[in-house]
Amino acid sequence: MQNRPEKLINDGVRLDGRGADEIRPIKIEAGVLNRADGSCYIEWGGNKVLAAVYGPREAHPRHLQDPRKAIIKYRYNMASFSVEDRKRPGPDRRSVEISKVSREALAPVLMLEYFPRSSIDIFVEILQADAGTRTTGITAASVALADAGIPMKNLVSAISVGKADGEVVLDLIREEDNYGEADMPVAMITETGDITLLQMDGNLTEEEFIKALNFAKKGCESVYKLQRRSLIEKYEKSCSD
Amino acid sequence: MSEEVVIPGCFLGESVTAGEGTFVEENRVYSMVYGLVKRDKKEVEVIPLSGKYLPKAGDLVIGKVIESTFSMWILDINSPYDGLLRLSNYPKRIEKEDMQKEMRVGEMVITRIKEVEFPMRINLSMDDRKCAVIREGVVVEITHTKIPRVIGKGGSMINLIKKKIGCNIFIGQNGRIWLSGSDKKIELAAETILKIEREAHVNRLADRIDRFIKEKKKGKGKNAK
Amino acid sequence: MSEDILSEVRRDYIYRLIKNGDRIGGRKADEYRDVSVEKGIIARAEGSARVKIGNTDVLAGIKAQIGEPFPDTPDKGVIITNAELVPLASPSFETGPPNENGVELARVVDKGIRGSKAIELEKLCLDAGSKVWIIFIDIHILDHDGNLIDASALASMAALTNTTLPYIRYEVGEEDEALLIKDTPIATTCADIGGEIVFDPCLDEENASNIELTVTTNANGDISGIQKRGAGKIPFGDISQIVDSSRRLAGELRKKL
Repeated sequence: MQNRPEKLINDGVRLDGRGADEIRPIKIEAGVLNRADGSCYIEWGGNKVLAAVYGPREAHPRHLQDPRKAIIKYRYNMASFSVEDRKRPGPDRRSVEISKVSREALAPVLMLEYFPRSSIDIFVEILQADAGTRTTGITAASVALADAGIPMKNLVSAISVGKADGEVVLDLIREEDNYGEADMPVAMITETGDITLLQMDGNLTEEEFIKALNFAKKGCESVYKLQRRSLIEKYEKSCSD
Repeated sequence: MSEEVVIPGCFLGESVTAGEGTFVEENRVYSMVYGLVKRDKKEVEVIPLSGKYLPKAGDLVIGKVIESTFSMWILDINSPYDGLLRLSNYPKRIEKEDMQKEMRVGEMVITRIKEVEFPMRINLSMDDRKCAVIREGVVVEITHTKIPRVIGKGGSMINLIKKKIGCNIFIGQNGRIWLSGSDKKIELAAETILKIEREAHVNRLADRIDRFIKEKKKGKGKNAK
Repeated sequence: MSEDILSEVRRDYIYRLIKNGDRIGGRKADEYRDVSVEKGIIARAEGSARVKIGNTDVLAGIKAQIGEPFPDTPDKGVIITNAELVPLASPSFETGPPNENGVELARVVDKGIRGSKAIELEKLCLDAGSKVWIIFIDIHILDHDGNLIDASALASMAALTNTTLPYIRYEVGEEDEALLIKDTPIATTCADIGGEIVFDPCLDEENASNIELTVTTNANGDISGIQKRGAGKIPFGDISQIVDSSRRLAGELRKKL
């Protein structure tokens, strides 16, 4: 593991040259996998994440079926080679929790009542990790769900915000995540302003918290535009052959 | 491109009738799927670009027998829900021991969605003259949302294929298409249909398909566009 | 939190009450049930506490061991928090490894304690790189009537303030020492029921709600942990008011420690 840089922020400039409220470069591509019903690939700073959606399909085992609506399964999985020290494959406590809150972050927009007894399965693979993997995963999963033709009220956009060297910063990089004072992943339905994921590790004053929340809102708005564009682009590409 | 593509949650209008693929919130109509907007005089709907087939009563579909129990066959109908064809809905009286002879596991069947019961129990029937077990030809599968393209306006596309290639085609609403005729004709028809699925949104698709078939028949240009 | 299925009439009743500004048990929206904290009840544990919030009953025990630090933090002790939703507490709890609810519960408690720096991990280091104290916080849910997180966080904090590190037993010192506690993070949880926010939801209220928010605050009012749970959404504008109420209610709960 690398050592803590002496300063995370120098005169308002972060290690990767960004200002406090700037996001990393993000590239989103919808419909990248063949077998899946919907899929999405994101490169977000140093993160590389694939999301696939299968379904609605019959829920297994049967006792999981809900006669009124579809159930959602969400599996967040980090590849063993995605981080510096090899991660032992398979679910650990962190990924179990992330899978749960991510599923709950997407649930508010999914119109599950159209597909009773079925299951909508979302698989998120973190191929390369550089802080903010759960929010990158949710952002990708949201696009993959739309790509799969699942009825939804809107897209969910997500980003992380936190505090490093005493400053509130948007879209943390690994060093800020490791050595900073707080990490707060947020997911939102950007157009309505509703929050669907909110977690915070670390320590923030109320003033910092409010500032962070507003940074996150701004960030989600930018992410939403990119998600939208990825889907429009996928369609346009299919027309221009 | 004249088509308007939307993602879920797009505002579509205020005093309009909400058609398929849309939802209403506080009198405002929004898209609920990723798809193409279709506006009529009063109604707006969104045709999804992808998604699973949801069985509708009356639809003719092609099912695959996946199980045969003591009183019914269970058919995979390319949907999240299996279809149930009960002996009582079978056109002729047969003994339970003979069920295997009528329809074997793995066979494809043209069947009709008789009714959709809560919660999505799908009852099938054979009471349409087109219903039959498929024992020749080939069944190809495409995304069911592209079926309207394969049919074309007023059946124009499907008639074009039938006429130019000269094979029989039956289109199931669930995205399965049965082709019968000589192997050569089946092969070309299948290729043509997959091309339509792939290029469903390209302008002047009928012209392209017409050209494609002509070139294929001449046996040149494997990658004819 | 629970997968208990609430009958429709019960759900309607809870909604109706809350819409009319009332609540099961006649509580106000921001009123906790009776809270009791009993410390030092397990003699074999380094620290322990039993917390009851209404009928919810939680026991937290602390065990300390000597072990190796994590390679990336050689000069810091280790805290490991674990929660067991044991089947004696609810018909919906099953035996086996912790499910996602148990995992989430433990992690929310754990993050609150870490975020507040209530325990100075550096002080748990005996020999950098080879020997540190490992503090196990084990939470046993005994009776489940909702709001397990607040009860578990309070029990854990109470147990930590009651903890003595066994230097003599491990032959690493002449005298046992009380664990140094620098802050007292308190978790408060609210549920949204039909657009109304109620704190300390009981089990029926939790089952009638599809969204809960836990906010952990420190003695000085800073926030040291947040977790939204459930398949619902929270309007952006509601958050800061919830945080304000959380801080105020945490102040009251802190007095019970």
